[in-house]
Amino acid sequence: MKKTSGFKDYKKEIMDAAHDERLRLALTRAIKSFRGNVNNALKKFPHTVGLAEEVLAIKEKAIPDMENLTRQAIAAIEDNRGKGYLAKTAKEALEIISGLTGKGKLIVKGKTMTGEEIGLREYLEEKGNDVYETDLGEFIIQKMGSRPMHITSPSIHVPREDVARLFSKVMGQEIAPDADIASMVGAARDFLRDKFFKADIGISGANVVAAETGTLFIIENEGNIRLSTGAPLVHIALVGMEKLVPTIADACKVAEVTWRYANYTVPSYVSMISGPSKTGDIEKVTTYGAHGPREFHVIFLDDGRTRLARYPVLKQALYCLRCGGCLYECPVFAVTAGHFGDKYFAGIGAVWAAIVSQDMEKAASLAYTCLTCGRCRERCPVKIDVPEMIIELRKLLALPPRSE
Amino acid sequence: MQNDLIPPGLTYLADNIISRQNILGVSKEQSARWARGLGLPGRAETIFFAGCGYQFSRQLEALMSLVRGVDKSVIGAELPLRFARFQKKLGLNLPGIYSNVLSRGAEDEVKPLEAAVKVLRNLGTQPGYLAEEEPCCGAPLFQAGLQDDFSVNARRAYQKLKSSGVKKIIGIVPYCTHALARLFPRFVDGYDLEVRHFLEVVAAEIPSRKLRFPRKVKVTYHDPCQLVRFLKLIEEPRQILKAIENITLVETDWTHGEWSTCCGGGGGFEAVFPELSQMLAVNRARELAETGAEIIVTHCPGCIIQLKDGLRQLKVEGIEVLDLSQVVAMAMEL
Repeated sequence: MKKTSGFKDYKKEIMDAAHDERLRLALTRAIKSFRGNVNNALKKFPHTVGLAEEVLAIKEKAIPDMENLTRQAIAAIEDNRGKGYLAKTAKEALEIISGLTGKGKLIVKGKTMTGEEIGLREYLEEKGNDVYETDLGEFIIQKMGSRPMHITSPSIHVPREDVARLFSKVMGQEIAPDADIASMVGAARDFLRDKFFKADIGISGANVVAAETGTLFIIENEGNIRLSTGAPLVHIALVGMEKLVPTIADACKVAEVTWRYANYTVPSYVSMISGPSKTGDIEKVTTYGAHGPREFHVIFLDDGRTRLARYPVLKQALYCLRCGGCLYECPVFAVTAGHFGDKYFAGIGAVWAAIVSQDMEKAASLAYTCLTCGRCRERCPVKIDVPEMIIELRKLLALPPRSE
Repeated sequence: MQNDLIPPGLTYLADNIISRQNILGVSKEQSARWARGLGLPGRAETIFFAGCGYQFSRQLEALMSLVRGVDKSVIGAELPLRFARFQKKLGLNLPGIYSNVLSRGAEDEVKPLEAAVKVLRNLGTQPGYLAEEEPCCGAPLFQAGLQDDFSVNARRAYQKLKSSGVKKIIGIVPYCTHALARLFPRFVDGYDLEVRHFLEVVAAEIPSRKLRFPRKVKVTYHDPCQLVRFLKLIEEPRQILKAIENITLVETDWTHGEWSTCCGGGGGFEAVFPELSQMLAVNRARELAETGAEIIVTHCPGCIIQLKDGLRQLKVEGIEVLDLSQVVAMAMEL
């Protein structure tokens, strides 16, 4: 390694994490509860395993066809009087979104890993907007000035006592370290309540998108997404192209498998959003912006995804539903959390770093942190073969550098 | 080995394989010494493939302990990656040190191999052993991403096996067996060797045997990753253990079979992250110790080293780590 500093810093980061007793405590609690929940969910709905096989077949067809599906989805969204965009790069996506928001706005944001990937919140803040993360975990992360440590549970590494301390500081309302979790959740609710209604703009991601109708499926439990995407006059969604599948029926399957493997029997809410809010109740004249947003913008992000789709073994990384199940099975993740990661975590994070972010040094650090033990593959609903990808990636890393 | 992105800890292992045909770079004579006195024929259609690992257990333990010590120290951050250079700097001659240890006799570490051969014979299989002529499977090359080197090595190894008249192989080391059974066919045209793992051979014969462990014990089984998730040998070890009188098999809560937790010693990880690897060993040892078992049975030289170290760090006493081949040999009174 020529530039050992990158690896040195990375190794120090994960070793510091591994020595952090608080982190270990939080992760041990989370892993135990996740395993129990996911086993229950799968036992209660055993058809999920077969459904997951169907989802794999859907993804195998959709990924090579992403560009076509994106065009189809944009056309459908525009038919629905929304606006669709294809952003080739992260920079383009940021420019499109900040062009839509402008400056000095109040923005409420649902959790989006794609947003994290491109640094959306930070960018909008730099442009002079007031941005509130409304997902509880993401809110904790934002207030801590930290970064997410898990896909579906960004603050997985923070034990409750630390949340109490943080909330006391940021909300000006004393919360005892041994307070029950409900009072912490209540404090966040009180704090964010009026933000939803005062906000100019709501931002979300999506778990899966049906191209034929341009319908975004967004899975959540807190209700913050419904408020963020429903209350403000403008809704902007940022979606990776790999989230596209052809039909609503396909998207339903993907959604069900995603939440089940994310340890839920059924989530409290699944929003299906295809266009702006409208009414024709007065003289049958269609008028936009009834109770929901008047404007609906969807930005589809490529930024390396179509490049990744051309790698025969590594393209599997695009099948990922982001249920997060694999992370709970990774023995390294169990002691380091998302420090073993980059934009995404663990083995899939290594592939993402190499091909999407094109940061080979980071990719190498992550690729050699993977044990290739394969337990993640056992858990994965779409059987992503992480050991196979990691060894393929190591092979690419071992090749003499060449220009693309 | 000049690539900037491959951790030197791995290129160190790879260089040894390429130059000396084993992971530690010791002589072939030393890696074959364990079989002296067993009278295994040097030429046979069915051979026992000892691989490397079991016969170097003590040396690997010493090496890991040294590397971990360095990794935990102030200078450790990048050293394990640059182990080979570090070694040269200190003037350490590891192969030399091992030779010394080996020449002083090394009965402990050869037990699983010897036991496996005795078990096979007891079950009516009379395997040969290529000894000094046994080629290296090169699995760590594949793991490190050095697939061209792996491919060259695999073809050479195949030629050597063929020219020695080998038709069937009984493997024991998980990585070696996986390489011979699953990877070689992908890299060697016309690969025609039948590869079975020791567990498969034993599990097929065991129902007709009366087996009795010398004392009543509670054992738990730790599945090595390569055996359970890559070679899919889930039931075989359990079938074998359950067939032994006086043994009660207790499983971990969730982490057994395909859900078994890696010992932290996988695929060269231990050479790149020695301290983290030890932490994972401790975590796994804790899971296994919580079953209340008196013996942790496993079937991989790497896992044995890791789990022993894990128990040591936990300061747990009274739990033994044994290889499955040893347990079966004891139950056969061999």
